[in-house]
Amino acid sequence: MSVAVHDAPAAGDGLLKIGAIIVGLMTFLAIFGPVIAPYDPTAATDTVSTPPPPLIDWPRLFIAQFDPEIPAPHWFGVDAAGLDVFSRTISAPRTDLLIALTATAFSFVIGVTLGALAGFFRHWSTELLMRASDILQSFPVFISAMILVALAGRSGVNIVLAMTLLYSPIFIRLTRAEVMSLRNRGFVEAARATGVSERNIVFRYVLPNALGPAAAQASVTIGFAILLTAGLSFVGAGVRPPTPEWGLMIANGASQIVLGDWWPSLFPGAAISITVFGFASLGHALERRYGR
Amino acid sequence: MMGRFIIRRLAVGGIQLFVLIIAVFLLIRLLPADPVARFVGLNASPEAYAAAKSNLGLDQSIPKQLGDFLGVTGGDGLLQGSLGRSWVTGDAVAAEVARALPVTLELLTYSFLLACIIGVPLGVLGAVRPGGAADKGTLVFGLFAGSQPEFSWAIMFIFVFFVVLGIAPGPLGRLSPLTDPPTAITGFMTIDGLLAGRPGVTAEAVRYLSLPVLTQAFILSGPIIKMVRQNMAEALQADFVLYARAAGLPERQVALSALHAAFAPSMTLIGVLYGFMLGGAVLIESVFSLGGIGQYAIRSILAFDYPAIQGVVLIISAISLIVYLLIDILHAALDPRAAL
Repeated sequence: MSVAVHDAPAAGDGLLKIGAIIVGLMTFLAIFGPVIAPYDPTAATDTVSTPPPPLIDWPRLFIAQFDPEIPAPHWFGVDAAGLDVFSRTISAPRTDLLIALTATAFSFVIGVTLGALAGFFRHWSTELLMRASDILQSFPVFISAMILVALAGRSGVNIVLAMTLLYSPIFIRLTRAEVMSLRNRGFVEAARATGVSERNIVFRYVLPNALGPAAAQASVTIGFAILLTAGLSFVGAGVRPPTPEWGLMIANGASQIVLGDWWPSLFPGAAISITVFGFASLGHALERRYGR
Repeated sequence: MMGRFIIRRLAVGGIQLFVLIIAVFLLIRLLPADPVARFVGLNASPEAYAAAKSNLGLDQSIPKQLGDFLGVTGGDGLLQGSLGRSWVTGDAVAAEVARALPVTLELLTYSFLLACIIGVPLGVLGAVRPGGAADKGTLVFGLFAGSQPEFSWAIMFIFVFFVVLGIAPGPLGRLSPLTDPPTAITGFMTIDGLLAGRPGVTAEAVRYLSLPVLTQAFILSGPIIKMVRQNMAEALQADFVLYARAAGLPERQVALSALHAAFAPSMTLIGVLYGFMLGGAVLIESVFSLGGIGQYAIRSILAFDYPAIQGVVLIISAISLIVYLLIDILHAALDPRAAL
């Protein structure tokens, strides 16, 4: 059953644009962030716990940057360990985004393939697959991810593997439901009548038409994967310091917050807020366009 | 009818829980972690290592360990209601979990109440005038709130309300460290204070809970707005609304009856969210040092405390399943078609 839920088209298009701009910017930083960072994101500068320059001075400082003799200002301040917060914040997408994108890509490919098979063929193995997905989906996500990463070893690869395991079932379920609704359509019968093999029917004809909901979910999942990556390192079960990573930065800043040092945690926190909102907006816009 | 529905759901839930706990048990033993080295240190002699290994029971075969855990080999295990003893504290895991659980339930209950007070009217507002400014505003707010890192907001709230304004207490737990906590009866500090005849303690507990609840409610309001808006919009599309409008009922009354129809599905989704959040309040508990089930999970996982890890996952999953069951029963009572 599909029910039209009205959004003003304007709000939908606006969200699509905002989402696309944020996602584009973060992808740019994931590629070039560490290159354009004015300071080494993992090496101490010669100051500690310095607040950022007042906003009113930013234009003057920015113009002064055209003189190569003048050292780069610490736009976002310096943390208690002497690390430049701006350089770390713009270098972090390479960790956070890369982990989130890889984990989502793995979950998507595995989930969509298994979901197509489970939706098209009725077999004890596909039944078993669905029961296994049920069990996986009833795991408490954050705690399970912590268990997997802490016990398997704190590394980016293990975070990706843990999230792949935990996020695949949603893609299996979405694709299976969509394939089941397409299974008896005319074009499937037509393909079968012309002698196309069952496997080709699933992967060449049905699956491409069934990707909408999973594609919209992928954008949302990337956002959640970023939150999970940052959350894991925030509690000490994620990537290791001094990797430039938003969750680690917030955790380090948290111990300084009662002393009034807001900048080491505000900027990475805002970066996560904006990025995840960007992926969620894009996901919402895609869902309205291509989803159910 | 209803009885059979409940029994079937309980049976399915029980099997699911059993498979889940076995899966967790095997999973933590298959991962390449070495809890023995964690407890004796890396420089321990081989004898000390072997002694610690046998002490923790890890020298036994995995089927034997599983049998001990389940309680089918003679000792106390799951079947006898025991979750084993923590490797870190030596205390019964069941008792430690029972102490931590009410903390999380208290945080979540107040947060959900506040989130519903904010989210339900906003969701309804968005649905009754589709395309209006309120609709766009609530849509964007809902998307934003639902995609926020709660731990970084928690830290910013601490900065603003504790460090700068000084109107909220610091992130030191549920009460001031100087306050003698009341006897735990319900485990809800706000209620135990009243039961102990110490309203001052309740007031203090409310103050200490204010920032965690504010943070959690802000994050939760996102999905709640989205769900209510969706269900309300669907209800407004129903034939009975068309009929009510055709019959000339005032728009306010039409909206009220649509809200009634949207109530059951919204309740279900909010219940699912509550169950989900039991294991999702980890980060807020950690920032505010509340000592709930999530913080207990962090401590156990980082210390490789296997009995405690198993206990936490089991209890969280069991409570989620019970919440889902209660919600399904409530849903079936409100809308008998659901029990079919």
